[in-house]
Parts: sequence; C-alpha cells; structure tokens
Amino acid sequence: MNITIGQYYPTNSLIHKLDPRIKIMGTFLYIAAVFIAKGFAGYLLCTLFLAFVVKLSKVPVKMLLGGLKPILVIIVFTMALNIFFTGGKDVLWQYGILKISVQGILLAVKMTVRLILIVMGSSVLTLSTTPIQLTVGMEYLLKPYKKIGVPAHEIAMMTSIALRFIPTLIEELDKIRKAQTARGADFDTGGLIERAKSLIPLLVPLFVSAFRRADELAMAMEARCYRGDVNRTRMNELVMQKNDYLALFALLVFVFAVLILRLVWGI
Amino acid sequence: MDFVKSDNLVYDYKTYNEQSEIVTNRAVDGLDIVIPKGQFIAVLGHNGSGKSTFAKHINALLLPTDGKITVNGLDTSDEKNIWDIRQSAGMVFQNPDNQIIATIVEEEIAFGPENLGVPSDEIKKRVEDSLLNVNMAEYRNSSPMALSGGQKQRIAIAGVLAMHPDCIVLDEPTAMLDPIGRRQVINTLLELNKQGITIILITHYMEEACLADRVAVFDKGKLVLDGTPKEIFRQVERVKELHLDVPQVTELAHLLREKGIPLPDDILTIEEMTAELEKAGIKKTDIKPEKEDGYTIPETLIETENLTHIYGKDTVFESVALKNVSIKIGKGELIGLIGHTGSGKSTLIQHLNALAKPDEGRVLLGGFDINSDKTKLKEVRQRVGLVFQYPEHQLFETTVFKDVAFGPKNLGLDDDEIKKRVKASLEAVGMSEEYYEKSPFELSGGQKRRVAIAGVLAMKPEVLVLDEPTAGLDPYSRDEILGNVKKFHDDLGITVILVSHSMEDISQIADRILVMNKGSVEFFNTPRKVFSHVKRLTEIGLNAPQISLLMDMLNDKGAGLPRDIFDTNTACEVLYRSLTGVEK
Repeated sequence: MNITIGQYYPTNSLIHKLDPRIKIMGTFLYIAAVFIAKGFAGYLLCTLFLAFVVKLSKVPVKMLLGGLKPILVIIVFTMALNIFFTGGKDVLWQYGILKISVQGILLAVKMTVRLILIVMGSSVLTLSTTPIQLTVGMEYLLKPYKKIGVPAHEIAMMTSIALRFIPTLIEELDKIRKAQTARGADFDTGGLIERAKSLIPLLVPLFVSAFRRADELAMAMEARCYRGDVNRTRMNELVMQKNDYLALFALLVFVFAVLILRLVWGI
Repeated sequence: MDFVKSDNLVYDYKTYNEQSEIVTNRAVDGLDIVIPKGQFIAVLGHNGSGKSTFAKHINALLLPTDGKITVNGLDTSDEKNIWDIRQSAGMVFQNPDNQIIATIVEEEIAFGPENLGVPSDEIKKRVEDSLLNVNMAEYRNSSPMALSGGQKQRIAIAGVLAMHPDCIVLDEPTAMLDPIGRRQVINTLLELNKQGITIILITHYMEEACLADRVAVFDKGKLVLDGTPKEIFRQVERVKELHLDVPQVTELAHLLREKGIPLPDDILTIEEMTAELEKAGIKKTDIKPEKEDGYTIPETLIETENLTHIYGKDTVFESVALKNVSIKIGKGELIGLIGHTGSGKSTLIQHLNALAKPDEGRVLLGGFDINSDKTKLKEVRQRVGLVFQYPEHQLFETTVFKDVAFGPKNLGLDDDEIKKRVKASLEAVGMSEEYYEKSPFELSGGQKRRVAIAGVLAMKPEVLVLDEPTAGLDPYSRDEILGNVKKFHDDLGITVILVSHSMEDISQIADRILVMNKGSVEFFNTPRKVFSHVKRLTEIGLNAPQISLLMDMLNDKGAGLPRDIFDTNTACEVLYRSLTGVEK
C-alpha cells in the first residue's frame, strides 16, 4: 500500500535541499511580509518573490493551486464579507445593509490575495520538505527554549514516531474493516447513532493494537539504549551551507524591501 | 569466557485480577544456564515456557525477582550497568513493524549509536558497515515500511550491529516471516556468528535450531534439555513430550530403527539421511508407485473463471496480482492453498467473498456470480466466511460469548439461535463453557485465535477460508488449531480453504493443494501429485516437506522409489521394503 503523508513532492531542487530551519523561518518571515504589505506594489513584490521560489523549487504550479482547494470556501466567504459589508463612500449598489462600494471591492481583492499568498507560501514549505525534516528543523529551532521547559526533543520524537506509524495504522484499520465486514458488519447504512455504534468493532481493535504496538516499540527503543535526550548525537547534524546563508540573505532583503515600501511610500 | 551466566534466576509477572488482588505468575523458575562467548545457541520451548522472559533479562529489560544474571560479567540488577549491558547484548524482536522507529533505513540503523552518543562521522561509518553486513546496502535510502518482512528483520539486526554488540538476542525473529525471509535472516545470523558474535536465537522452528551449536529447551521456566542439536533431537519421544517438533528425517530414522534397521540415532539433515541409507544398503529396487488414490472431485461449490486482478490499474504502481485464474472447488473439500508472499494467494481469497472485485473474470458460488447483485453481498459474505491472518486482532467485545455472537447478530437472528450458534462454534474450536464470560483479551495467543475463528464459524458459512491460521504459534497451539480445522471440516461438512506457508502442515490434512506462483495457478492436485514435483516447488521458493526432498535426493542417486511420498509413515514403509526386500 502506498500512502503519502502531508504533501511532500519529491524532486531535487535548490529549495528541497535547503536547511529545514531556513525554510521554516523563511515561511514565517514571508507570512509577516504579506501582512506588512499594504498596497498593490507590496502584494506584487510578494507575488513575484513567491513565483521565484516556486520556480526554484520545481514544484508544479498545479500542485500549489491544488493546495487552495480545501480553503476555497473560506476565500469565497472572505470575499463576500468584504464586498458587502465594507462601508465606502463610492457606493455602487445598495440593498438594506448590503452595500457594494469601490473601496469594498478593493479591500476584498486585497484580502483574498493575502490569503492566497499565505496559503501558497506555506504550501511551498510542506511540498519541499519531508515531514521528518520538518520535525528535525522544529527540534533545532525549539532547542533554545529548552531552558524554560519546552521539551523540544520529546516533541520531535513523538511527532516522528506518529508519522512513522500513521501508514501502519491505516493499513491495520483497513484490515480490521475487512475482517468485520466478513463477519457481516455494516458501516455504511443506518442513522447517525447506528453508524457511530458500528464503529466500535473497528475502533476497539485499533486502539488495542495501537497500545500493543506502543508497548513493543517502547521496549525496542529501550533495548537500543534510548533514554531521552541524554548524551544523544545525530547522524545528520543540521549544518548551514553556503546556499542556506544565501537564502537567508535573499529573504531578509525581500522583507526589508516590503517594509520600505510600506514605511516610505505607504503602499 | 562466559557471556551470559544465570544463577537460580527467578522471575514473577504480577498482574491484577478482577478483585484487584495481585496474582503472581512464575515465568522463570530457578534457571541456571551459562552461555559462552561466540556460541550460537537456539532456545526452544512452547509458549509460556519462560524463554522470552529469559531473553529480556539478558538485555536488562526485566530484572530478576530472585537469583542473579550476569551479562559480559556485569550484574543486570546494578543500575549503572544497564547501558553497557544493552550495548553489548542487542535485542531483535518478533514483530518487525513494531521495532522500526525511523522512516528511512539509514536513520533507523543510526538510532542505536545516536543514543550511545557516538560522533556523527563514526555513526555514518557504522551504518555503512552494518548495511553491508546484512547485505542491504542498496536499500539505505528506502522507507523500511516498503521492505519485505525478511528485509525488515535484517534492518533490525543491522540496527543492533551498529551498536557494536558482543551478542545478539533474537526473540522469535522469524515467526512472522515466509520461508524466503526466514532463510535470509538465518543466513545473516550464521554469517555474524562466524565473525565472533554470540547469537541467542529463540525460535519455534526446528530446522533453525538444527543449525545452532547448542540447543536449550525450556519448560515451565526451567532448563530441561541442553546439548548439541544431535544430542537433543535423538531423544525423539522426550522432545515430542515437550510439545516440540522433531525434524522429519530424524523421526523417519527413529521409526526405521524401531523396525530394526541399523541407522544412527542422531540424523538431522536430508544429506546425512541419504548417506546413511546408502550405507545401510538401499537397493536399486523398482517399487511401483501405489495405485492412484482415485480421488474424485465432488460437485463444484465455488469457482473462479479467468479471474484477473490488477492493483493500481492505470497508474505507475500497476501490478498484476492475479492473472487468468480458473479453479473449481468441490463441496466439502479441504483445500490447502500455498504460495510465497506476493504470489496472489491473499488477493485470491479476498475475491471469494467479494471483499475484492475482479478486474476481469467471475467468481461463482453455486453457479451464482457473486458480484452480479449488490443486494446479495451480505448473503455471499455469510456463505463464504473469511478468517484473516492474526484474526485475534479483530476481537473487541467484553466477553468471549459476545464477540462470537457479533456475526450472528449482524445476520439478524433471534437470541435462541444466536446462543445455539455461539455454543456450537466455540465447541468446534475446543473452547469450553468456562471461557464464555471471560474477556477475550485475557486469553492466551492460541485461545484468542480459536475464539476469533469461532466468530466466523458462527456465521455458519458453507465455505470457510483461513489465511495462515497457524502463523506465529508454537507447535502445540499449531497442532491444536489444525486439529480443530480438520475436525469441524469433517463434522460439519464445511468446505475449507486453508492458506499456509508450511507444506508440512497442509500435506497432513488437505484433500487437494493449490500452489500459486506469480498470480497464476502452478499446481492444483492431490498432495501426492503436487509433492512429486519437488524440484519445481523449491524453484518457486517453497519449502517442500523434508520427506519429499529426501525421496527426491535418493531417486537422483538411482534408488527408484516412488516420487509421491511426503509423510513419515509411508516413507518408512517404502524404505523398509527397499532396504530389506521384505513386504511390510
């Protein structure tokens, strides 16, 4: 069985090879930049920067647009809200409290562009970084906060084990479903309560199995001398390369440019 | 030098019963054993004999309740020794899926050394070496989940090797593997042992134990037999008493000795047996095969017509699981279905009750195309029962009774009928009334499985398909389940299709054997006919029974024996005649 988790798009690009820390920080910086931008010049700059990164990442634009599908409803809703409820002086059409104005339309377009840019920007991160790299990156970024009690290593370890076991449990669920179907179980008909009840023969075995697996895995980890983050090393330490510094520099220049546009020209 | 030394080792499991009282269960009971460095020792014993508990002591995963165990000279109950002990005695477990931590092979192997604080450059070197050692270097960037069972276990072994251990303890590492995977793992272990690593192998497979330097048999938490494989298995009666198997040739030699043929009593392999029989003067007689057993196939109950199934059709992952399979299974037959992993046998059985849909062809049950009418699906699934691999994993109810009643309830039967069916099915699998109100989760592995089988039997199917019902069980539970299957097949007249990796299991009870290879039918005939093609079976990666292999080898040397013999008793008779010239 072949189950992909997240939406990683495997290819060999400059963006794919970047340090996950840079990509995670970059995504946050980009989102900040989108919020800083106020006028169309700022949005244009953000769009161009995203286009440049997408081009470098070799991820097909179709996949990026596909990432917008789940939030289509939100986009439409935001647009409608802004068009109808923004008070503006150049009213074009009015019906009760619903009012369409030039300012409203402009705001709606801006908000929509902002939303689309943010979603597409973060999609580049998940499309170009494996879930495991993401957790490693997070672990490194959270390390400084360990002193104030953030369990960085534990969070990362739990996440990566969860990622590792998702396909296993999906497969298991499929097997249990088939087995109960063979015993005459019916999961597709009946009212809401009946359907919820019909899940018991699926969920109980799944949980029992998950606990059993957790138990065995814990033992296997202990047997291999796992003792948390004590005196632990890594085979692949994250080390910043020339390209990572370049990327960081490019990001800072971009954010700075957006900031200047906003502060100096107010656009 | 002694690597493991236990001194009056005792271990009690403590659990709470329903009254919240502590119940102690003594798993290891005064065990004294010494394992020298560099030895390959196989530990045998039925389930509950304490062998796994012992294994966990070597890795300090469990600490003795009483007595003492030292590993590499270190006392395991001293807390400061724990990490040194775990580094020097690595452990591999039964279920490959539940001991893999990472999503990339390389990182999986690096996990151990990372925990030990080994510098990254050194880890990389160790990962490389370990991968080469288990012959898996080409998979370094694969996802472990995409590998076969045998490959996964070799990755687990590599993960231990990267910690530079002196000893590897393996707790039934081959129980969930097919014959090919089993061979891969055992060959790896033999290779590592040659490099000086102590191997402690817990297993149910006697052919694996035969390869060890030493065999230790556990019973009720004690060491009851200890010696070289030859010393152990020559005690045929005693070993059988302990609910363990004896290699078929050893048993055959034992039977022939009882008839007065002078053979040594410590024969373990087919090669040894062939040599000894030649020495004993097997003549080039020409014993005619016995008359055809005249098996007639009963009236067809379920059949497939040109069945083809393709996974991931029209994608890059497209793979043909079944091509053009046409078989006819008669009413009341007991069919053995065999084939290596990926031969299409699992796909085939899922078609028989419409859990999988054919891409081409049809499945007919009593002449009715089961995929032709969706409203009849429920009825089809009632008429063709399917027991999956490890069926105990689908138990979910609070009591054994309720769990078995799940199927009949879904059929909408009334309470009296449900009660009757539950009782009958539990009886058919040999579970007495005292278990009815117990939680299925409290039962032993073999019992859970029998309850799960009863759950499908309670649907009163006409055809019952069992997918590897004996996988992972010890010889005793295995024989019990096979006995149950044979019995309810005979008593209730159910048509049974039994999927198995083990030719020896199937050959004893099946009317006909269906051999699948690469999605097609290779053979479909009586056991005698199928096992006369020993060479072809070996070629497609299946283990023919030892007796068939022996007959084949003798015939290659010109003994002129019938080719269709696969069980010890017939072989004994035929060989006796050939050796002495006396009938019977």
